[in-house]
Amino acid sequence: MNASEDTQDEISRRSFLLSSSGLFSSMWVAAHWPGIAAAAHHADQVSDAAPAHFQFFSAAEGADVEAVSAQIVPSGSTSGAREAHAVFFIDRSLSTYFASMAPGYRLVLADFQGKFHAASPGVASFAAAGSDQQIAFLKTVDRTPFFEMTRTLTVLGMFSSPKYGGNFQGSGWKMMGFADQHAFAPPFGYYDAEYKGFVPYPAEKHA
Amino acid sequence: MTARKFKPDEMVDFVVVGSGAAGGVVARELSQGGFSVLVFEQGPRLSAADFEHDELKYFFLNGITNSPKYAPQTFRKLPTETAKQPLGGFLPASYARLVGGSSTHYTANFWRFHEIDFNERSVIGGIPGTAFADWPISYQELEPYYTKVDWEVGVSGLGNASPFDPPRSKPYPMPPLPVKSSGVLLERGARKLGLHPFPAPMAIASQPYRGRSQCIHCGFCMGYGCEARAKSSTLYTMIPEAEATGLCEIRANSFVYHVDTDAQGRTTGVHYFDSNKGSHFQPARAVVLSANGAETTRLLLNSTSNRFPQGLANSSGMVGKHLMFNQGSGVQGLFEHNLNEYKSVQVTRILHDFYDSDPKRGFYGGGGIDARINPQPALWALDSGGDLPRWGAEFKARLEAFPRAMASTGHTTSLPLESNSISIDPTLKDAWGIPAIRVTYKDHPDDLAMAKFLQDRSYEILEAAGAQKIWRNEISENVFGVHLLGTARMGNDPATSVVDKYHRTHDVRNLFLCDGSSFVTSGRGQPTMTIQALAFRAADYIGQFAKRNEI
Repeated sequence: MNASEDTQDEISRRSFLLSSSGLFSSMWVAAHWPGIAAAAHHADQVSDAAPAHFQFFSAAEGADVEAVSAQIVPSGSTSGAREAHAVFFIDRSLSTYFASMAPGYRLVLADFQGKFHAASPGVASFAAAGSDQQIAFLKTVDRTPFFEMTRTLTVLGMFSSPKYGGNFQGSGWKMMGFADQHAFAPPFGYYDAEYKGFVPYPAEKHA
Repeated sequence: MTARKFKPDEMVDFVVVGSGAAGGVVARELSQGGFSVLVFEQGPRLSAADFEHDELKYFFLNGITNSPKYAPQTFRKLPTETAKQPLGGFLPASYARLVGGSSTHYTANFWRFHEIDFNERSVIGGIPGTAFADWPISYQELEPYYTKVDWEVGVSGLGNASPFDPPRSKPYPMPPLPVKSSGVLLERGARKLGLHPFPAPMAIASQPYRGRSQCIHCGFCMGYGCEARAKSSTLYTMIPEAEATGLCEIRANSFVYHVDTDAQGRTTGVHYFDSNKGSHFQPARAVVLSANGAETTRLLLNSTSNRFPQGLANSSGMVGKHLMFNQGSGVQGLFEHNLNEYKSVQVTRILHDFYDSDPKRGFYGGGGIDARINPQPALWALDSGGDLPRWGAEFKARLEAFPRAMASTGHTTSLPLESNSISIDPTLKDAWGIPAIRVTYKDHPDDLAMAKFLQDRSYEILEAAGAQKIWRNEISENVFGVHLLGTARMGNDPATSVVDKYHRTHDVRNLFLCDGSSFVTSGRGQPTMTIQALAFRAADYIGQFAKRNEI
């Protein structure tokens, strides 16, 4: 079985699902339903502080993945993937509820690192490269399984509940302008606040 | 009265398989009619307090949906291919697996079908290569039951607001939910173009209703269980009312895997697994399958016997055929001011100007357009098809603009094709050792053309509404569905259909099927309202047959 082809297949299916806002605009990704409770329990203990070490990644792998995620959602005047601790979410998800994807992810990560070394022989690692160099290289690989998976995991790491280890102190939600609140009351936004009410149509029947 | 608890092996009048949109209604109607009813639900029973605002759990970890971990499925596009398990773990036939079924996690769009949905074949003619057909019932026959859904289940809306609305005998019991900015903008753009947007009918309480709370506008409808009990899921409406008769038991965590028949070809009851995978037989005078268009089919095809070698109720060979998912398309727009679309229900304005098929378009199809958003941040961010930016500064700018964004979505027809089906995978089995679902699906070209047509209309509407920027989502062939329709179609001819117009199987006198599988055509998306109207009607007739000893 060709792992890379399978991963490619998975990614293309996933990309489709994520792009189809018509129905349920999402994949229903691989489940580790019993893993949830454990993950959430663990999360309760760590959500206010960065984990001290990786569970799944080596330090070098973690640094590269963090650098890629930080180019996917860059830092700036608002939080990016780095400030949201997306890499720690990724690390934990691959060692718990997304564990079934972990072997495939490690394969495509190694492939990514190999490609980078081949393209930039003088640079120690992707993480050690300058930002412009990172962006230029990512443009050559941004349709690969590694990039697609990292993009998905980075987004989940930024916007899933902080109890899963990313979205540090709600920084992803704040960046996006999402209020984590249990209930709301109208008006919800600018345009409905100024709405004057529904005006009925003349009573003629259309064919 | 408290819920009934039947003794092991106790004979019941009706076994109902599935506690969702249809099963909940059937159970309530039959138990209120004085019959003893035992409802089997494979999933757990949860309550409002169990539901959470947790996007990862509900959308990425199968929090309340069927899971490939224990119930894998396979997929292929064409019958000539070998079906494979989709990698990444999503399921091609997806549904909520708990008491209340998919009515627990639906978005609650509750359009009625129009008159044309029932007799379209006669009006516009046949379509070569398809099984396009009329329904054996008309809108007029179903109308009283649509009204029952409005009032008994609880729908908010504004009657006759759309000039394209089918006739209705009674207004909605509750006013529409408060309009959102996306609804205002859709209305603004559409009216400029001479179209007729109107308040969306939603199965969500806009005011306190029959002991339930009104909507608290938390924004977690699509894919979630309602924490306020405002969504009119059968979990909160039909099921407690069925239990209150003292004649109905909901048996959760109980998976029916075989419908049994005797030498006369009548069903005698069902075999099921309890939560410990212990197998039991439950006798019944009659059986109603409301397990959804995928699982009802699997159950029939797996219930083979000497008398029914190709599966139960399948003398026509039509069980599982004509699967329809509906198609869809979308655009996303950015506006000057904040809309904050993550708040409140998903949809507040829709339009039906393009509902009917029009030969001038050059293809068959019709649909409705709505204003909405994928309200939660991760889903919004992951939406990457079409020309949406995917990473870097431009991607982040799109994320930061989230409060100023909305989507407009088209919901469209799927033609019934014999090659699109639910069947039994020849090798794969689930965690109980029961042969698994195989989905075969490829959209008809007209289905994709219609989705594209509505995307263009949505684009024009957002443009007319003053969007600063508009992105198109990708339109692709369906590789999964949450609308599981048409797989045991209703009809007068036993050679080409599975159930008659009263949902009785042509082959087994005391076996009835009532869920999305009964559909003859797909409607234009949003099938649950019609599933429930059919369920009220079916239960009405089934009860009459039982009282007259005609079962």
